[in-house]
Amino acid sequence: MKTSELAASLTAKFGGRILGVDEFPGLLGRVRFDPAIATELFRTFRDDLGFVHLSMVGATDWVDHREVFYALWSDTDRVYVMLSTNLPPDAPTVASAVPIWPSANAHEREAWDLVGVRFEGHPDLRRIFMPEGYAYHPLLRSFKIHEPEDLEVKVRSD
Amino acid sequence: MSPVTLFSISHTIAAWLLAHISYVFPAPAQGWLTSGNVVLGLTALIFAVILLGASMINTIMLIWWERKLLGRFMDRRGAMHVGFAGLLQNFADGLKLFRKDTVRPGQADELGFWLSPTAYLVSSLVLFAILPISTGWNGGSLPLTLLLALVIFSFAPLFIFLGAWASNNKYSLIGGMRSAAQMIAYEVPILLAVVAVVVLSGSFDLTTIVQEQRNYWFWAPLFLALIVFLTGMLAEMERIPFDLPEAEAELVEGWNTEYGGMLFAFFMLADYVRYMVGSILVVLLFLGGWTLPSYIPTILTSFPLAGIVWFMVKVYLVFGVFVWVRASLPRMRTDQLLKLGWMRMVPLALLSVVLAALVVAAHCLPLIGCVPSMGG
Amino acid sequence: MGPQHPMTHGLWNLRVRIEGEVIKDVEPEMGFLHRGIEKISEDRHYNEIITLMDRTCYVAGLNWEHLFIVAAEQALHIEPPERAEYIRVLSAELQRIASHLMWYAAFCQDLGLTTPFLYGMRDRDLILDLFQSYTGARLTYEYMRVGGVRNDLPLGFTDRCRKVVDWLMDRFVEYDRLCLSSTIFNERCNGLGVLLAPEAVAYGVTGPMLRSAGSHRDIRKDRPYSVYNKLQFEVATANTADVTGRYLVRMEEMRQAVKISRQCLDWLDDNPGPVMASQLPRWLGAPYAPVGNEAYLLKRNYPTGLGFSMMEEPHGEAGAYIVNDGGEHPYRVKFRSPVLINIWAAKRYLPGYRVADIPPIMGSVDVCVGECDR
Repeated sequence: MKTSELAASLTAKFGGRILGVDEFPGLLGRVRFDPAIATELFRTFRDDLGFVHLSMVGATDWVDHREVFYALWSDTDRVYVMLSTNLPPDAPTVASAVPIWPSANAHEREAWDLVGVRFEGHPDLRRIFMPEGYAYHPLLRSFKIHEPEDLEVKVRSD
Repeated sequence: MSPVTLFSISHTIAAWLLAHISYVFPAPAQGWLTSGNVVLGLTALIFAVILLGASMINTIMLIWWERKLLGRFMDRRGAMHVGFAGLLQNFADGLKLFRKDTVRPGQADELGFWLSPTAYLVSSLVLFAILPISTGWNGGSLPLTLLLALVIFSFAPLFIFLGAWASNNKYSLIGGMRSAAQMIAYEVPILLAVVAVVVLSGSFDLTTIVQEQRNYWFWAPLFLALIVFLTGMLAEMERIPFDLPEAEAELVEGWNTEYGGMLFAFFMLADYVRYMVGSILVVLLFLGGWTLPSYIPTILTSFPLAGIVWFMVKVYLVFGVFVWVRASLPRMRTDQLLKLGWMRMVPLALLSVVLAALVVAAHCLPLIGCVPSMGG
Repeated sequence: MGPQHPMTHGLWNLRVRIEGEVIKDVEPEMGFLHRGIEKISEDRHYNEIITLMDRTCYVAGLNWEHLFIVAAEQALHIEPPERAEYIRVLSAELQRIASHLMWYAAFCQDLGLTTPFLYGMRDRDLILDLFQSYTGARLTYEYMRVGGVRNDLPLGFTDRCRKVVDWLMDRFVEYDRLCLSSTIFNERCNGLGVLLAPEAVAYGVTGPMLRSAGSHRDIRKDRPYSVYNKLQFEVATANTADVTGRYLVRMEEMRQAVKISRQCLDWLDDNPGPVMASQLPRWLGAPYAPVGNEAYLLKRNYPTGLGFSMMEEPHGEAGAYIVNDGGEHPYRVKFRSPVLINIWAAKRYLPGYRVADIPPIMGSVDVCVGECDR
């Protein structure tokens, strides 16, 4: 399948909610979409297009918005595809991919922990690397490495 | 030539000592000091000291042997630096452990904590007084040495469990319970294999058992019993493949997690004493003790203390087999281990008893022929 | 169990809920070794990030360097020369063997087999000596650079490498005999930690864990990167989906890595050439300007780009995604760690077994906490 075919089939199904399908050398393409259609898009990719494996979920902090990107792999077509969505910084929430690909569990916890993106529908969204009670999201551009920070750490004792 | 026994050596030393010391004292005390009873008393003391000292040094040499042999199996050299070829390494280790501060956890039961390693070590050391290493080199003639040795050998689960419980640590307790269960499970096949030996030799006395082996060693007719006994001993000694209670990968150290310093040294020493005793039992019961086949030239068998030398050679070889097993096999899980003990070892041991009885009844050994002087 | 525990091979915590001896639920707790590698990378030049990649997964350093470099080269629109690619693949495959030997040593040690621990370390030492001869280090190599590798192989290296690799092939036979023919090993490992292929794919499990369940997915074959499309090898699979299957897969992977290394060595013998690209941007080669020439460090208008690489690392499928915004530091570097996902799937393959089964099962997952936490 080529990028143009992918673009055609996706726009046919979702219309204007697909903001663009770009070329990406080595991948099938980079699909930019509106966060509202997240769950249906994931379902389309898993069931109709055969992308059974969710490789990576990550988030980037572009200061005026936050981007969440997904990398999917298809065993039948042997190709990766990237999905990307932009979220407003004051309400960075997107539907969780866990109901569709359970492997997203740890990835989304990491994205929440480091970049502060909330995933709705995630069974257990809490910090994975930083201790509970840590007040910052370290990978944000506003978090400077070389400044001291106040720390109040709660230790789990159950 | 009159046989040299430990008793005769101690008696000589005691008499010499008292004869020289008594010069200092006035006449009536002199007479008393050199009288038979006092000499005998000092003999007993010197006997015990020599026996204890020699046994401890032998045990420490066993640790050296294991380390070097295990190292060679693993393509490395073992202890190298302290003393020639690392011979003094374990003395150094023991000294280090004795110097360490013993930390007792606050909630641990004080009496149990201090008592269990001590009792474990003492009960294991007592065995050296019972087991003969050559004619006349044992702690006196008792009629049922084998039975006594096995009974004392089986005190261990009690002390291990006591130590594990007294540590007030749930992991130690789990380890201690597993350890006790394993040891108790494997007592039964060991005892049954020993029964096979007793049937063939006709006596519970270890010296007599060795004497009965002067024509042929018992490993040939009782091969099955030997296998069962070796496996059971591995389990009793808690070596790989049966060392799950000590398995570092799961419980850090097992039932002796909380012990440090001198108490840990006691546990380790007691463990090696038991390895020694196990190997000695194998040699005594199945490999002819200190006797050698008659086709070995007399030059090698008649130098002074030849019996002891050959006995020790055999013990170290048997222990070498144990080390070999340790180097090659993985660990069994507790439930697999217990299943092996109860479901496989016990029937095999029973079978070996039956075979021993058949051999005795037929007065003939397979592949060796008929020997008229077989025990009954 | 953890974070200090001899079994876990690294700094992570496994909370296990048990009933008697049977495991009811597990929860892995990671993050003890989180060093903020992604955040630090945003402040560093591309060639400076290489030092971090060695430390991300210290057992498989060259594989992670390779991963980062391929993504960086794609983001920076740079092509390395072919000889550099072959050296990279050779390093990656030797590192795969070293990583699997380390796994073998630790796995057997967990089971109670003390001898293979030393055999594995002894053989790994041979490979580390090879690495030292051309990278200069045994663990933290810092060898690959954007555009190629730092230096060429020394004279006589290919012969030495062949000798080591031939010696290793004989050793693998011995290792198999030591483990597979042992009844105790089989009894302890067969049927343990079963994770069937559909579940494994759903939970994102990759690498030897997935291939032991019968899947044939190997990124080196499915989406070849570097020069893997010119090399011949087979994908190692097993179909038992248990601990023994993973053992078999990793042993077979070592043999295939030897096969690949031999092909690379033959090519390298026949094709001398440069090992660094000739047209590199100046700021990439010299991040530190001489005093008085700070203008050298100013942001350049280099074309932006995105780099994406996914590789078959010894632990599974690892990935890197680099956003190059035209400056000297990358804007965002994101890594996909296979071990994080493989450990997280413990919720599927651990419950139902006994506590004494945890060391073999977690040993077969081949945990390297450095890349899990980054």
